[in-house]
Amino acid sequence: MTERDSPRLGPDTSAPRPSLAEIAAQLDRQTVAGPSATAPVEAPKQLRATRVASGAWLGGVCTGLAAHLGWPVLLIRAIVVALAGVLLVGAVVYAVLWLAMPIDRSPAAPGIDAATRTGMRTQTSVRSSDIGERLALLLLGVGVALLVQFLVPSWQVVPFWPMVVFAVGVALVWTQADSLMPRIGRRRRMRAVMQALLGIALIAGGIVLTISRGFGIRALTTPQWTGVILFVVLLAVAAPWAFRTRTALTVAREQELLANARADVASHLHDSVLQTLALIQRQADDPRAVAALARKQERELRQWLYGESHEADTIKTALEAAAAEVEDDGGVTVDLVVVGDHELDVRMDALVRASREAMLNAAKHSGADRVDVYAEILDDVAEVYVRDRGQGFEVGSVSDDRMGVRGSIVDRMARHDGTARIRSVPGEGTEVWLRMELE
Amino acid sequence: MTDSTAQHPSRQRVVIVDDHAMFRAGVKHEIGPLVSVVGEGSDVETAVTTVLATTPDVVLLDVHLPGGGGIEVIKQVHEKDPDIKFLAVSVSDAAEDVIGVIRAGARGYVTKSINGLELVDAIRRIADGDAVFSPRLAGFVLDAFSGSIDIAAVDEDLDRLSQREREVLRLIARGYAYKEIARELFISIKTVETHVSSVLRKLQLSNRHQLTRWATDRRLV
Repeated sequence: MTERDSPRLGPDTSAPRPSLAEIAAQLDRQTVAGPSATAPVEAPKQLRATRVASGAWLGGVCTGLAAHLGWPVLLIRAIVVALAGVLLVGAVVYAVLWLAMPIDRSPAAPGIDAATRTGMRTQTSVRSSDIGERLALLLLGVGVALLVQFLVPSWQVVPFWPMVVFAVGVALVWTQADSLMPRIGRRRRMRAVMQALLGIALIAGGIVLTISRGFGIRALTTPQWTGVILFVVLLAVAAPWAFRTRTALTVAREQELLANARADVASHLHDSVLQTLALIQRQADDPRAVAALARKQERELRQWLYGESHEADTIKTALEAAAAEVEDDGGVTVDLVVVGDHELDVRMDALVRASREAMLNAAKHSGADRVDVYAEILDDVAEVYVRDRGQGFEVGSVSDDRMGVRGSIVDRMARHDGTARIRSVPGEGTEVWLRMELE
Repeated sequence: MTDSTAQHPSRQRVVIVDDHAMFRAGVKHEIGPLVSVVGEGSDVETAVTTVLATTPDVVLLDVHLPGGGGIEVIKQVHEKDPDIKFLAVSVSDAAEDVIGVIRAGARGYVTKSINGLELVDAIRRIADGDAVFSPRLAGFVLDAFSGSIDIAAVDEDLDRLSQREREVLRLIARGYAYKEIARELFISIKTVETHVSSVLRKLQLSNRHQLTRWATDRRLV
């Protein structure tokens, strides 16, 4: 009963496996081995700066720049605001960058991505664009313009209100160009068209007002000025269109690259699932084997579809790996919930190993078909609870006939200044509580 | 449970919303003898129509659904009838899906691997106005509210979990059933239910900075 609890040296955990070993080995050869290898395809790392939606005040330009340059956001915001005071240079720079920098769209896990694309999830918009926010922006702009006029009287030359009308028009036209609009509904398209038309009207109106105030109504009828009006309006309309086309082209190119990579992964995935299904059919008379196969495949798929990518070795990844092993070896379901995370050091490794031993004990001896594992890693302490609703045992008898529990759980924890407590009620189940302070 | 038969027939009226007909059939087969399935929906549109027409006690709602997802169903139904109760059932473990659907107004979340009896139990709980948290959901909530037991913080009530609520959530995450939690903490099952409902309310209404940041990190807002 304690053959699995023999002391383990080194990270090698591939002790002799039960009958499922061949199947598992066969599967491993077929599928990508382990969760780490099933990481989703990553888009080529971009060197250009992107606008960041989270933490954005306006368009996310400052946040994006800060992330790109590695400077504090506050500094960049201060620079932009300071520059904005100097003949509105900052505002112009901001506007140009807003248009030039694409929105950061790091791909979500494939399952979520696919569900989003097929409309199975409510799209959480990158930036909410409610009217209140736009109104606030508009008022802010008008306020700044008024302030500048007040502080710099020489600017009175530029007629104020026509400029505002012009600016609002430009803003209306350009906000349409900002959204990528992969597939939009008819109602939204109508709205977009109306908005663009309104914008163009305002632009034209602004120019007409400016010219008529500067040079009199008569000037409007001269061919030069008519030409100027037409030119500016055309520019205002064509520029967003050109911008959008450019963006669409870039997106198309990226997607082609991704599509190829995805196709490879998809075929790999299909192989693994089909393989498992074939195995399940062959073992149809052995419910335990079927359940184990299904569970293993589910775990792999789940990790691939919804798994968060883990870069380094952490307690969470180690526990996930341990739970997976126990599921395969013990033929039980291990429900693992982890709150918080921490780097894996020698002591935390001991904690994970003790947890694994506790899970394995529950799987082998409790008779329960499910083991609940809850790990909580706070700032100063890590705790793991391993619980089963199996047959339980008399805790007093542990020291004698359960060398595994003493050696690999209690003593291991004690060696690393941790605590292990076992609570068990015959007939109701067992809970192992492991606790280790973080350094 | 049998005492409540006086008020309404003990068989809860349930609508199953899922785009996989196989899954609907499976669930219906499993829970059919214990509850009465009064309708089915396969996408947002049919789901909203069916739910509004039948006004069931509980709607079993898939998170991923053609036409905008489960969240959209909750939004549209609650616009017309805010009393309809939803239990989210999904294969997705992604935090954004789980928390997203709860924030939208679902009163519970369970995974599709749940067995029939547990599901019926969850349906009854929801019909009685309680909340149903799976261990995973409890873990997400603890994660989202982590560090919030700072006693010095003068946060609003909504923005933190009480010590007791944390304890209850941790026990749920550890795999305890409500009955076992009640015994462990020397409180009544009703009190456990009250705590869980209160956590649900906080999760839905809270604006707390950390929850927002946690959600932003996961692109929920």
